[in-house]
Amino acid sequence: MSSVNIARALKAIKRSIWVYHLNSGSCNACDIEILDALTPYFDVERFGIKLVGSPRHADLILLTGPVTRESLPKVVRAIKAMPRPRLILALGSCGVGGGIWWDTYSTIGGFKKLEDILRENGVEVDRVVYVPGCPVRPEAIIYGILLLLGVVEQKVKKVEVVASES
Amino acid sequence: MKDEVRTIVEKIGGVVEEVKKSEIYVRIPQQTVRTAARLLYDSEAYFKTCVGVDEREVNGFYTIYHIFGLDSQGVDIVLKVLVPEEDPQTSSIVSEVPAADWCELEIQDLLGIKFGGRLTKRLVLPEDWPDGVYPLRKEFRYDEKPSRVIREELHEEAGIPVGPYHPALHEPEYFELYVEGEKVVDVAYRGFHVHRGIEKLAESPRFTYKQVPFLAERICGICGFVHSTCYIMAVEKAADIETPERAEFIRSIVLEVERLHSHLLWIGVAAHLLGYDAGFMHAWRIREHVMVLAEYLTGSRKTYGINVIGGVRKDLNVDKIDKTMKTIAQVREEFKKLADALLSIPQIKSRAVGTGVLTKSEARALSVVGPVARASGLYRDVRKDYPYLAYGRVSFRVPLYTEGDNLARLLVRVEEVFESIEIVKQLVDLLPGGSVVVEEYDIPPGRKAVAAIEAPRGEDVHFVITGLGRPYRWRVRAPTYQNIPALRAMLRGTPLADAPLTIASIDPCFSCTDRVLVVDIETGRKSFIKLVRGG
Repeated sequence: MSSVNIARALKAIKRSIWVYHLNSGSCNACDIEILDALTPYFDVERFGIKLVGSPRHADLILLTGPVTRESLPKVVRAIKAMPRPRLILALGSCGVGGGIWWDTYSTIGGFKKLEDILRENGVEVDRVVYVPGCPVRPEAIIYGILLLLGVVEQKVKKVEVVASES
Repeated sequence: MKDEVRTIVEKIGGVVEEVKKSEIYVRIPQQTVRTAARLLYDSEAYFKTCVGVDEREVNGFYTIYHIFGLDSQGVDIVLKVLVPEEDPQTSSIVSEVPAADWCELEIQDLLGIKFGGRLTKRLVLPEDWPDGVYPLRKEFRYDEKPSRVIREELHEEAGIPVGPYHPALHEPEYFELYVEGEKVVDVAYRGFHVHRGIEKLAESPRFTYKQVPFLAERICGICGFVHSTCYIMAVEKAADIETPERAEFIRSIVLEVERLHSHLLWIGVAAHLLGYDAGFMHAWRIREHVMVLAEYLTGSRKTYGINVIGGVRKDLNVDKIDKTMKTIAQVREEFKKLADALLSIPQIKSRAVGTGVLTKSEARALSVVGPVARASGLYRDVRKDYPYLAYGRVSFRVPLYTEGDNLARLLVRVEEVFESIEIVKQLVDLLPGGSVVVEEYDIPPGRKAVAAIEAPRGEDVHFVITGLGRPYRWRVRAPTYQNIPALRAMLRGTPLADAPLTIASIDPCFSCTDRVLVVDIETGRKSFIKLVRGG
C-alpha cells in the first residue's frame, strides 16, 4: 500500500542515515545509551549515523519511552513531520511494549497502540524494528539500525502466542 | 528524643503520635498547620515534601503528611493533617514555606484535595485529563483510562512542528521564558510529560513489596539505583529489617559508582553547552569506564537490578574488587587531566562566573538540595546529615561554595567526582565479610517510614506506608522536583544567552531542556531557541 519504494530509499541512505531521537516519556536510561553510542567508545558517526535536531531532517526516528498521555499528541506530530519513508526504531522495553508501565492510566503502552493511533491520524509508518532491552545497549541500537537497513539478517523469528483465558 | 527536638515539638503543639529513631509524627489540626510550618521553618528545618494519602479505609480521612527535615539533628518531623472526606479542603502552607508549592498542586491533581489561600493550577496530569478523576484515590483502578477532554487552550504552542523535543539525552519538558529584549523577566515551567503513574502502580495488585524495587529503579535511568535503595531503606525502616553490613557496603559502593557516571555525564553536557565539545567527548569517554565497571559489578550497564529487600543479589569477589580499584584509579587519572583543562579555559570561566546566581536566602526558602544547595552556601548532604548505609564509616569532604553561580555548581560536581572515588576506595578497604541478604522477614501493615539518600542531584526522599503484600502508599520525591522552582530565581533578570547553561546547571533529571519558548512581552511574538546544539 505504501507509495514509497523502501528498497530504493534505503539504498540511497545506506551510508548516511540521519536519526532523530524522540523521547515519549522514557526514564532516560535508553536516552543516555543513545547518546553513549555517539561518543568516543562506540562513535556511530563513523558509520554515517548522525543525530539531527528535527524530524523533518531525519531518515529514522529512535523512539524511546512508553508514550505517556501528555506526550502522545506531540509524538504523533513529530512522526507526522517526518518525510517518507518513515522508519522507526522502537527502543527499549518501553518503546517496544510499554515496559513495566504498559497498562497504567498515564501511558498508552507500547508501539502497537501508537501505530493504531498513527493510522487513525493518517500517518503511515513504512518500517519498524523493535530493539528490546532495559535499558537497550548501545551495541543493540547499532545492530537495530543495521537490521533496518538490511545490512545484517534478522536472527529471531516472530511467533504469535495467545494467552489462555484464566 | 533529644532536648532540642523536644522543645521544637512542644512548641508546634499537636498530638505526638509516634516517635521513632529518626522520625517524629505529630498530628496537627488544620487551623494551626500554617503556624506549625512557620515555626519549623524558623527552627532551621528544611521542607522535604508533602504527601497526600487516601486513608479513608483506615481512619475515614484523607491525610496529608508534611515532612520537615531537621538536618542539624538528623531527625524528620512529620506533620499529619486529617482532611474530612465530605469536605476535602485544607489550608495551604505555601505562604510560609514556598517549597511546598509543587507538592500541594500534585496532591490537588492526584487526590482532589483543595488548598485554600493559594493560586492553583493543573501540574501533573495531562491537559486532556477530565476534571474530578483522581488517580490516587483508592477507588480509581490503576489501569483505568478516562476519556479525553478537549480543552480550548490545548497546544498553545501550536505551529511548532517538533514540540518539546531534542536529540541530546532529553526528555520532553520545557520552559517558557518571558523576555524583554535580551533580558529574561519570568519563567514558566511546563513538564510532567513523563508522568507514568508509578506511585499508583506500586499500590496495584500487579506489584508486591519484592517487585517494587525493580519499578523504583525505572523511575530514572540515570540515578535509578538511588530510588530502589531509598524505597528499600524506607521499607526496611518501617518493618525493622536488619540488613547485613556487607550488603550496606555493596549498596554504598554501587551508589558512588552511579554518582561517578552521573556527574561525568553532566560535566560532559555542561562542556557541550559551553561550546567545548572536545570536553564533552572526553567526559563521556571517561564515563564509559564507569559503565563497564557497573556492568561488571551488577550485570547491567544501567538499571542494575541487584537491590532486594533485606540485601543485595550480587556479592563482590576478589576479581570485582580488583577491577573496581583499577577502574577508579584510571578514572581519577584521566578525569584529573580533563578537569584541569576544563577549568583553565578562560572562556568557560567567563561564561560561568556570575551567571545564574541563586543566593543563599533564596536557596534556603526553596529548600533546594544537592550540588545546587552546596554551591549556594548551604551545607547540606544527606550522607553527612542523616548517615545511612555505610556512609557513617567513611570520611569525605562536602564541597561548599558561596557564590551560587554556574561556576560554583560546576566546581561542586567536579570535586564530588574526586570525593566519590575516595569514598569507593575506603568502602572497598573496609568491606566486611558475611552474607549479603536476609531472606526471612515480615512486613506488618500500617507502619510508616521516611528514607532519604543523597542522589547525584541531591536529596531523594521516599515515604512509605506499609500495606498488605504491597505498600499502601509510596511517595517519591526526586531531587529535581525540589530544584526546578529555583530556576525562576536564577533566570530572572539575566541575559537570555545564559539561560541554557543555567537551566542545565541544576542538572535537571529529565535533562530535557532542549527548546525554550521565548515570548517577547512587548510584541507578544513567540519564537524558539535551542538550548543544546543538535546533531
